[in-house]
Amino acid sequence: MRLYEYEGIDIFESVGIPVPRRGVAESTEDALLIAGEIGYPVVLKAQVLVGGRGLAGGVKTVETPDELEEISGNLFSAEIKGLPVRKLMVCEKADILRELYMGITVDGFSGKPVVVVSTEGGVHIEETARTSPDKIASFYCDPAFGFYPYQARMLLRHIGLSERLLTFCADVLVRLYRVFSQFEALIAEINPMVILKTGYQGGLLAIDSVIEIDNSALSRIQYPLPQMIDRIENPLERKGREIGVTYVDLGGDIGIIASGAGLGMATMDIIGQRLRPANFLETGGGITEELLYKCMELVMMKVNLRAIIINIYGGINPIHEGARGVVRYIKEHNVTLPIVAKALGNHQEETWEIFRSGGVHVVTEASTEKAVNRLFELVGEQ
Amino acid sequence: MSILIDDQTRVIVQGITGKIGSVQTRWMLEYDTKVVGGVTPGKGNNVVEGVPVFDSVNEAVKETGANASVFFVPAAFVLDAFYETVDAGIKLIVVVPEHIPVHDVMKMRAYALENEVVALGPTTPGILVPGKGKMGIMPGSLFSPGRVGIISRSGTLSYEFAGILSEKDIGQSAVIGIGADPVVLTNLPDILKLFDADDETDAVIIVGEVGGMQEEKAADFIANGMTKPVACYITGRFSPQGKRMGHAGAIVRGSTGTVEGKCEALRAAGAAILKSPIEVLDWTTRNDIH
Repeated sequence: MRLYEYEGIDIFESVGIPVPRRGVAESTEDALLIAGEIGYPVVLKAQVLVGGRGLAGGVKTVETPDELEEISGNLFSAEIKGLPVRKLMVCEKADILRELYMGITVDGFSGKPVVVVSTEGGVHIEETARTSPDKIASFYCDPAFGFYPYQARMLLRHIGLSERLLTFCADVLVRLYRVFSQFEALIAEINPMVILKTGYQGGLLAIDSVIEIDNSALSRIQYPLPQMIDRIENPLERKGREIGVTYVDLGGDIGIIASGAGLGMATMDIIGQRLRPANFLETGGGITEELLYKCMELVMMKVNLRAIIINIYGGINPIHEGARGVVRYIKEHNVTLPIVAKALGNHQEETWEIFRSGGVHVVTEASTEKAVNRLFELVGEQ
Repeated sequence: MSILIDDQTRVIVQGITGKIGSVQTRWMLEYDTKVVGGVTPGKGNNVVEGVPVFDSVNEAVKETGANASVFFVPAAFVLDAFYETVDAGIKLIVVVPEHIPVHDVMKMRAYALENEVVALGPTTPGILVPGKGKMGIMPGSLFSPGRVGIISRSGTLSYEFAGILSEKDIGQSAVIGIGADPVVLTNLPDILKLFDADDETDAVIIVGEVGGMQEEKAADFIANGMTKPVACYITGRFSPQGKRMGHAGAIVRGSTGTVEGKCEALRAAGAAILKSPIEVLDWTTRNDIH
């Protein structure tokens, strides 16, 4: 789950990382009040869960209440990269001497946390990584050992920090690792970490946050976090989450139900050669009669659907039970849409019989391509 | 010699008293796997599917001579069970469950490496060696004995490839799911190395997917002296990418992770690229693999 910038900054503050004076506004009136308390100039930052916000015009400095009113109004009525702006963070304007970058992520291949720092923070950090790799240093941690100040200092020495700045930055970096670890983050990032012209709290300020928490760990984190479900804007995707499947709305007209992410993506890739998938739906290993009934309900919510393909394997999943749910849905709702099912593995014969009793076109071969070709035939694409 | 499972493999099932654990134990036994015991803390002295249940892995190992374990343990308890199993001296562990926190998996991986344990998963269907046995959830009916190895990041797609090959009487030497999570306990090139050295395997199929750098690293291994023919299918070409946030990942990984990038790296290394699973049959015909 991705956190909003303001939520991340609250978390930074809770572990002792220096952060700016700020407030969160849901309206221009709120923003005026907060700016009045902080004192002008202030920075208005649109709260959207997408990267590249600054370059898309979502961050503005304002000098006066009049200017705030105008720009805040614009931001609240704008979309940033297609996302609505519901909240603004109103921040003190930092007097910036330099911008650093600090980030920690999970490196999939080594299976280790990797701490990355750079003297060139800001929106162009990825370009810096390509063009001036010497300005970036990274350190792969032992996940059982953790990350200690001496390691932080060694890393920061590589990008040339020294004296008081070295120890202050090392302290922040270790606290950022604490956030990464305690919040079971996939990413914990401060960009930029600014060095102020005025000596304030050691002269450092984390003026932005990026935190993404591992969904599998959400239930055990000891901190009042928002509900994942409230973060999902698309109503169909929200319903998918409610019934416990991964659903992605894709805008086409062929429905997909698959019992695995790889199989679902392969089905999508093969359909995509000629038609457009309406959705991606992946059940994982939890198929029951009830679940596939609900999956049918969800997939059928899409208007203009032309056909559905069900692609499931009986390994861990009782596919015969799943088939019963599909057929129950078909009968209760008099579904006349062409439905193709490819179902192999444990209980396959029983599954085929159940599907056929509901008028589902059953493909008994292993190749998804053959099932998709059957579907193309049924919708007149061949 | 087959890969990972042979006639010396004696398996315990952790979480054997659960609904999935007991059903899968029956199917592993029906596939002639030597399941010698089960472990569920607090449920020792029971018998499931004719197999004795123990309270701890240590007792199970002592009483049964087990040397391998397959997990059907709830995600929240997997880290603890994994440490227990490694400490009990088991050298092959298959972690089937999904939704295990990544921070736990990182610790498990480090502990497995330190103790020279081969572990697969999480979110893996496991290992199946046709005619010899299986650890995990692969449905036996789709597989047949032969000389093609399959390594897959996706469980269900490994069944798809085995099924397509078996329909044409092309058997498999072993089918290995490395797991679908962002961090897995054993990486793809390490399994590829086992297949390359296996005298019962003539050719290998890699089933990959968008994201991460497993396939790129496999390409490095292939380029640096893999002797057997390799075919690759990478899924996710039309998958919508998540709205990316943060830069740390991009800085560390550079341009790796896309389907195009993976296919290019593998093609340059000399592997055949399959555009859809069914094309595997053209590849086996072309290379006279049977």
